[in-house]
Amino acid sequence: MSTLPAPGPNVSGADEPKDARPLWQRYRAASHFRSRDEEFDAAKLGMWLFLTTEILLFAGVFVAYAYFRMLHPEAFANGSHYLDVRWGLLNTIVLLISSYTVAASIRCAQLNKQKMLKINLLITLVCGFLFLAIKFVFEYMPKWSEGKRPGSLFNYAYAENNFEHLWWSVYYTATGIHALHVIVGMGVLFVMYLKARKGFFGPKHYMGVEIAGLYWHLVDVIWIFLFPLLYLIH
Amino acid sequence: MAINLTTISAPALSGVTNTLGEGFWHNLFFRDNPNHPDGFIADGLFMFLWWLGVVWFVLLMGLATYWLIKYRRRPGVPAQRSASHNTPLEIAWTVIPTLILVVIFVWGFRGYMRFHIAESGGEEITLVANMWNWDLTYPNGQKSNLLTEEDLGADKRPVFVVPVDTPISLRMTSQDVIHSFWVPDFRVKLDVFPNRYSTYWFRATEVGDHWIFCAEYCGDQHSEMAAILRVVEPADYAQFLVDGGQDFATIPPAQAGQILSSSKGCVACHASTEAAGTGPGWAGTYGYEVRFTDGTSQIRDANYIRESILTPSVHIVEGYGNNMTPYAGVLTEDEINYLIAYIQSLSDKAPKSVFEVPGEGDGESGEGSETEDVEVDDMTQAETAEDTIAQTETAEIPGG
Amino acid sequence: MTTIDRPNDLPADPHGGDHHDEGSYLTPKGGFWAVIWDWCTTVDHKKLGIMYLVAVLFLFFLGGISAMAVRLELWEPVRTLDQVVLLEDGTEATETITTGQLFKSGEGTDIAAGNNIYNRLFTLHGAIMTFMVIIPSIPAALGNFFLPIMLGAKDVAFPRLNLMSWWIYVIGSVFAVGSILLGGVDTGWTFYTPYSTTTDGYWNVLLMVGGAFILGFSSILTGLNFIVTVHKLRAPGMGWFDMPLFIWALYATAIIQVLATPVIGITLLLLIFERVFNVGIFDPAMGGDPVLFQHFFWFYSHPVVYVMILPGFGVISELIAVHAHKRLFGYRALAFASLGIAAVSFLVWGHHMFTSQGEVTAVIFSALTFLVAIPTAIKVFNWIATLYKSSISINTPMLYSYYFLFLFIIGGLTGLPLASLATDLHLHDSYFVVAHFHYVMMGSTIIAFIAGIHHWWPKMFGRMYNERWGMVGATLVFVGFNVTFFTQFFLGTRGMPRRYASYVDEFQLLHQISTVGSWILLLGFLVHLFVFLHSLISGPKAPPNPWGGLTLEWETESPPIEHNFHHEPLVKHGPYDFDEVHPPHCDPAEYPIPEPALGGKSH
Ligand code: HEA
Ligand code: HEA
Ligand code: CUA
Ligand SMILES: [Cu+2]
Repeated sequence: MSTLPAPGPNVSGADEPKDARPLWQRYRAASHFRSRDEEFDAAKLGMWLFLTTEILLFAGVFVAYAYFRMLHPEAFANGSHYLDVRWGLLNTIVLLISSYTVAASIRCAQLNKQKMLKINLLITLVCGFLFLAIKFVFEYMPKWSEGKRPGSLFNYAYAENNFEHLWWSVYYTATGIHALHVIVGMGVLFVMYLKARKGFFGPKHYMGVEIAGLYWHLVDVIWIFLFPLLYLIH
Repeated sequence: MAINLTTISAPALSGVTNTLGEGFWHNLFFRDNPNHPDGFIADGLFMFLWWLGVVWFVLLMGLATYWLIKYRRRPGVPAQRSASHNTPLEIAWTVIPTLILVVIFVWGFRGYMRFHIAESGGEEITLVANMWNWDLTYPNGQKSNLLTEEDLGADKRPVFVVPVDTPISLRMTSQDVIHSFWVPDFRVKLDVFPNRYSTYWFRATEVGDHWIFCAEYCGDQHSEMAAILRVVEPADYAQFLVDGGQDFATIPPAQAGQILSSSKGCVACHASTEAAGTGPGWAGTYGYEVRFTDGTSQIRDANYIRESILTPSVHIVEGYGNNMTPYAGVLTEDEINYLIAYIQSLSDKAPKSVFEVPGEGDGESGEGSETEDVEVDDMTQAETAEDTIAQTETAEIPGG
Repeated sequence: MTTIDRPNDLPADPHGGDHHDEGSYLTPKGGFWAVIWDWCTTVDHKKLGIMYLVAVLFLFFLGGISAMAVRLELWEPVRTLDQVVLLEDGTEATETITTGQLFKSGEGTDIAAGNNIYNRLFTLHGAIMTFMVIIPSIPAALGNFFLPIMLGAKDVAFPRLNLMSWWIYVIGSVFAVGSILLGGVDTGWTFYTPYSTTTDGYWNVLLMVGGAFILGFSSILTGLNFIVTVHKLRAPGMGWFDMPLFIWALYATAIIQVLATPVIGITLLLLIFERVFNVGIFDPAMGGDPVLFQHFFWFYSHPVVYVMILPGFGVISELIAVHAHKRLFGYRALAFASLGIAAVSFLVWGHHMFTSQGEVTAVIFSALTFLVAIPTAIKVFNWIATLYKSSISINTPMLYSYYFLFLFIIGGLTGLPLASLATDLHLHDSYFVVAHFHYVMMGSTIIAFIAGIHHWWPKMFGRMYNERWGMVGATLVFVGFNVTFFTQFFLGTRGMPRRYASYVDEFQLLHQISTVGSWILLLGFLVHLFVFLHSLISGPKAPPNPWGGLTLEWETESPPIEHNFHHEPLVKHGPYDFDEVHPPHCDPAEYPIPEPALGGKSH
């Protein structure tokens, strides 16, 4: 993503005298921006636009959910009974914590608390990992092996409704695309962590963490919608 | 909709509509007058839009062309100063199109509702689309896939027959992908979906032939789904329901029997395969032995079949109930013959002559062209018949 | 007027500041391989624009060739005839032969196999022309090159993202076009289910759909980049209403791209799931609904027709102003109309489904569709009013603008019978629709694109083209286009359905006229191709401002230097103030300023 700061030649040009200041102080905006602030604004605007597109992408999934719920209400009611609210709740909590830590990491960058910045990023990463682990090990795997699969793969012997496979189609599509976003988000955050270790972020330059944080919040918000739709509404 | 639109009489509309919907310009765009009572609204609206378009086009392009020539560049002469906007003008050219659009919308909306709300009474015909055929089932059970096909120059097209001046509802559904039923002369089309019904309503106003096209892309032979809708007098339609438009004297008796088997409703209980329905399937009956509920058994020959048609309760085949109404007095002697011939043809023990010729001498003219007209390979009902007939006719069936 | 304040803490940036002795962006740096590498990895919006231009024209050629093949197949209807042949042993036999089928599969009379080739051809044609040609044409090629320059910026906001979009575009196109190598796709560009999920050619369809999915990202990222650039990188002194209308149009387009494209993304993704995992949401046999797919598809694909046309509007606004040397009539109306069209475009998708949906929705969508015609009509009126009392140079761009008006008015007006319910029941999926959308896509957008290429050609490549032959080409295209597509209106009203490999005899004459027209079209484009190549090889050197334009791209050199401007420009006049300032780099005597009107200043 170009929304990440451009390290490029302007970070430490070989032709310039050696500069002993930390990286975040030496950062200069890309040459077509008039200032660092302008670049930061542009990056934020870009990210917000990107988040809009993400929300619209999920909007498609939500529409499909609503539509099929309307067509086959019993199948969907049955379907959500198969989900264990406790795992869903746990995952919600995990993601909420991670949202807090990612916000904290931005604050740390602004306050130049380099150590806490890294720790917070790490906790966020761990939370992301936990989320995925719970999802896969305690949700996807048992369901899949019981035959609760999408579409024509559906093979659950005790189904009570002819259209339960559609519920699972929607379930796997929604949570699968969301899980993919979690993975991408973790990738971005990991890059931020590596940069943080090099001292890339500080009070005047925390664009990268802020942008990555925005993305992570989105991943969270989507889950906040998915959780009640899938687990709570019967 | 809440408003009852069937009652809109729209006399004002039809005045405009009738003058616009005919004459040279109309004939340029449409191959014929609409054959649907509501088609006139569509034509009138279309021609109105055409003239509206012509007026706007001439006005705007006329100005543009005139100015392009008048104000072409002369070196050293600048453009003259003129206002860069003009509020009254701009309001005018916003409001006027808006008003015109409101008129167009209302007009189109009315026509649409008329197209959608069926006149009451009339016939309901079932239509099943599949890749790449239309199969109609008439109210008496008559199936279109057994019926006429017509040579038009080089193309063979199935012919569907409907009565003139009678409201017809086609209850349409598809067996595979989406198709769309379009009769251009009616000015209306409707998509045909799998697992869902859509109802195409029309009342043909004149006797004549019309194209039917499939208007939703459905694969390789999408363009080959053309058929002919033949509008006939009600009396001819009644006759058609019985004989499917065929002259039974000139077609093989087995084929006539097959048509009768659906127009007389036999197929409701008897499959043309060996599958058991309410009654036994017909394939493999003739010439084979069968046990009855009273313990006796018999080889089923023509006499047995005749008896089973006329007085079915005399012998009941084991495993079936006494459910069939006697047909004595319902069928003519010829019709019984045809049916027997058809049932025979479904068995491999049938004598060859059953489906070969209607009569050695006069068969010459009939055989070559007429038999070919049956679209044998499209029968969905008569699987076995298809095989048997196909075997003897392979020489004449194009491409298989 | 909002202007961007120059920040006080401007860093002493060796890359900012001034660029005095820089060469043209086209100056090769290093040897052959170095140049190739430089172009492949460039973040320069100008080079990316040029690469898009070349790729789009190439794909236009591919799409055009498949269109020529489509037209050829339609020269004659396919007929099966019984023919009496003499066998070797002297007896006669009847044989069934097929005539009129240009594309056959092997020997024999298998019409279906031949039709299948036709179906693949028009799908390829439609998919290439929409996803790979017309959507990226003006925004990605001309927009990339000129948006930053017209704003007075050095580049787009995110140059590396721009490079990424370009490569995504390449990959997506390779996927989609690559599906031909596997035997092609026969779904039509609309990919309607359940046909698209059941037709054979598993990988072909996946590649094509996957390609369209990938291309969507390119479109989103370009749009996003443009929005941010317009917001953040306008030159000092340039307020929102000092922007050229081309920028306004690109801005409105970008909004649609960003808001609509994700929906096609998820739609195509679901289609892929449907095909791969059989999830059943579009499959009626499994309780799914094929009409849902249509809603999803058109929710994107209707707004996208305005993604196609709005940039064309922008180009035409620019061209008419410059070549008529006249302030545009109703600048703000034109700008707001672009935004208005963008907004309404999201509400009308259902007009593609009047024959497949319930009555209430159909009525609502019909009403909303008419709304879109209002801002469009306003634009047309404004362009024509601009010509009044102007001073019009007749050259290829201006001639094309005139043809654009001609064709767009026809294309737009024929949208009205489609939007009105009673008539659409007849016209839907007929050749009337085909004619309508070629008038607006080919006749308007592509024409505007080609017009724009001529207009900016001297700026992009630093050479003039041959004006006379340019006009000849333009006129051939115009005539050929009308012959090809006006006939199709009659075909449609007379009952010819679209996507037909064959037809009943009564349509043959009209089809043949249309096919002849397509040859004239081809000839016209070949003339253009020749003119362009000739100009590249031996065209005279272009001055910085050959047309007397006032927008910022005419301030810099032809072709522009690497960082676009020697100094960051300071905007002091509007883009169309022809009656107040002399155009830069021009002889003032050639472009005199008109006497003030009696009533003083006219603003
Ligand atoms: C560049 C692309 C483009 C543009 C700009 C438009 C513009 C319009 N289109 Fe078109 N359209 C397509 C591309 C486009 N379309 C495509 C690709 C399809 C087919 C897709 C497929 O099925 O494959 C299609 C199909 C299509 C349909 C579906 C037809 C069907 O399948 O049944 C409809 C129906 O409403 C429609 C309507 C309109 C309308 C009302 C406009 C309006 O925006 C037009 C507005 C313009 C004017 C009205 C003219 C200018 C104004 C004046 C001259 C002033 C006078 C005017 C008045 C008094 C009103 N279009
Ligand atoms: C941008 C959009 C676009 C453009 C430009 C065109 C251009 C053309 N189209 Fe097509 N068309 C579509 C979009 C477009 N089309 C779509 C979306 C469909 C629907 C598909 C579907 O149903 O799924 C369709 C369908 C379609 C059909 C209907 C097929 C059917 O329903 O059965 C036909 C039939 O005549 C047709 C013909 C043509 C012709 C003759 C041209 C000609 O104008 C082409 C002329 C171009 C050339 C001959 C190329 C010349 C180029 C060069 C020589 C390269 C150099 C050029 C320069 C340097 C400038 N097109
Ligand atoms: Cu059936 Cu097209
Ligand atoms: Cu549309």
